[in-house]
Amino acid sequence: MTAKLTAKNVSINFKERKLFEFDNLSFCEGDVIYLQGDNGSGKSTLMKLIAGIIKPNSGDVIATGFAPKKWWQSNSLLGKAVYLHQHAYLFDGSVEYNLRYALPKTRFSPQELQARVAQAIESAQLGSLLKSDATDLSGGERQRLAIARAWITQPKLLMLDEPISNMDKQSQKLVLAMINILKQEGTGLLISSHQTCGLTALCQKHWHISEQKVVESSHIPSFEQSQEFHYVSAN
Amino acid sequence: MNEGWLALMQQAFSLLLSLDPDVWSIISVSFSVSFAALIITLIPSIVLGFFLASYQFPGRWFVTNIVQTLQSIPTVVIGLLAYLLLTRNGPLGDLRWLFTQEGMILGQMMICAPVLIALSQAAFSSIDKRAYETSRTLGASWQRAIWTVCRELRVPLLLAVIAAFSRILTEVGCSMMVGGNILHHTRNIPTAIALETSKGDFAQAIALGLVLLILAIVINFAIGSLRGKAMPRSQ
Ligand SMILES: Nc1ncnc2c1ncn2[C@@H]1O[C@H](COP(=O)(O)OP(=O)(O)OP(=O)(O)O)[C@@H](O)[C@H]1O
Ligand SMILES: [Mg+2]
Repeated sequence: MTAKLTAKNVSINFKERKLFEFDNLSFCEGDVIYLQGDNGSGKSTLMKLIAGIIKPNSGDVIATGFAPKKWWQSNSLLGKAVYLHQHAYLFDGSVEYNLRYALPKTRFSPQELQARVAQAIESAQLGSLLKSDATDLSGGERQRLAIARAWITQPKLLMLDEPISNMDKQSQKLVLAMINILKQEGTGLLISSHQTCGLTALCQKHWHISEQKVVESSHIPSFEQSQEFHYVSAN
Repeated sequence: MNEGWLALMQQAFSLLLSLDPDVWSIISVSFSVSFAALIITLIPSIVLGFFLASYQFPGRWFVTNIVQTLQSIPTVVIGLLAYLLLTRNGPLGDLRWLFTQEGMILGQMMICAPVLIALSQAAFSSIDKRAYETSRTLGASWQRAIWTVCRELRVPLLLAVIAAFSRILTEVGCSMMVGGNILHHTRNIPTAIALETSKGDFAQAIALGLVLLILAIVINFAIGSLRGKAMPRSQ
């Protein structure tokens, strides 16, 4: 059964101000969705809602197709989909500690895990940084580490909040390659960006937040090369 | 005068080094009573500190202020309260704990808990919420996520424990009133220092004072190395 998160009749307000509302959105394994919206339109908020970090003022988010939990485990929405914060949080410790934090020990054998860790280090080019303190990394390196940490878990659903906003072209390529692998493995991806970029070209669906509504379509705004140059130089 | 001082210091050191039974019985009473009080209050106080910091509930403001107040009440007043509880006709009179180590432990718990609660609440209030969110969304159980948060906060939490322990190890008022300063039974370092000084037997008082001084030096240097090279960061 494919893992699926469905949000129904949701509206979100902060104090008196309405942020957005929508009737029905679903995020499934195998989906690759581009979430677009202006600054402050609520992209991060929508992702946190689906991740179970915040609750809607009205409406529900329902999870189906996930493994049932044991009685002592909480069966909350949190932990169903992996959400990568716009500004990644790294735990106090080395780069390696962070990478290994969420090893999916029950799903893979030790050898497979070892191979997966090695592959993550290779694809994110973190080899020379493994022993350094995570807090000493540069902005782009932090972002790469956070993506590699999520990549290792081979999540069913992964949400990336502006994943390449701090990155040079080289890092963007690395991230693009990792995300491509996840896409092939069938991970559902929800990628936010206020602008089209190399990543959004991978997407098959489009969610657009505008005028306090989330609109779903299958038309992906085309990504123009010139726009990317403009974007990169602005960072 | 100078020679008098030297002689006193010599006597004090020889008391400690010759393992004088009276001096060492006093030291062991101090440590066993204070350790017991710390161990019993540790986990419940930190859990309460966590709840006070993390959840909004009616009465939270009130409880927080009560804890803060208890923290700043002089230990003699807590001693008085413990005495009234433990005295023959008091609510806990049937326990017959007055002038026993159990009574001293109870009194010290009443001093220790507010310090631990208030300081761990402060520590948990300073946490970046993304630490918990990141841990959960990467698939950790809530138990593990809380453990991760405590790990992120290990320095302020350890400081809370040390502050609480040094407060009960060095307090005179409550131990004197509830313990009664009985040699080999309830006489601990602070009550012994007070007594020996008033008798004019400075050598023993200095010997015991030295124990507290050495302990303070060891603890503070240990904390210093734990903090490491931690410098303010900008990120
Ligand atoms: N906890 C909160 N309390 C009050 N207002 C909030 C809260 N979280 C978000 N907001 C408001 O909601 C709006 C949307 O925030 P959000 O972070 O979702 O925007 P975004 O689309 O991700 O923007 P950006 O492109 O800048 O990342 C903002 O105006 C913000 O001020
Ligand atoms: Mg955002």
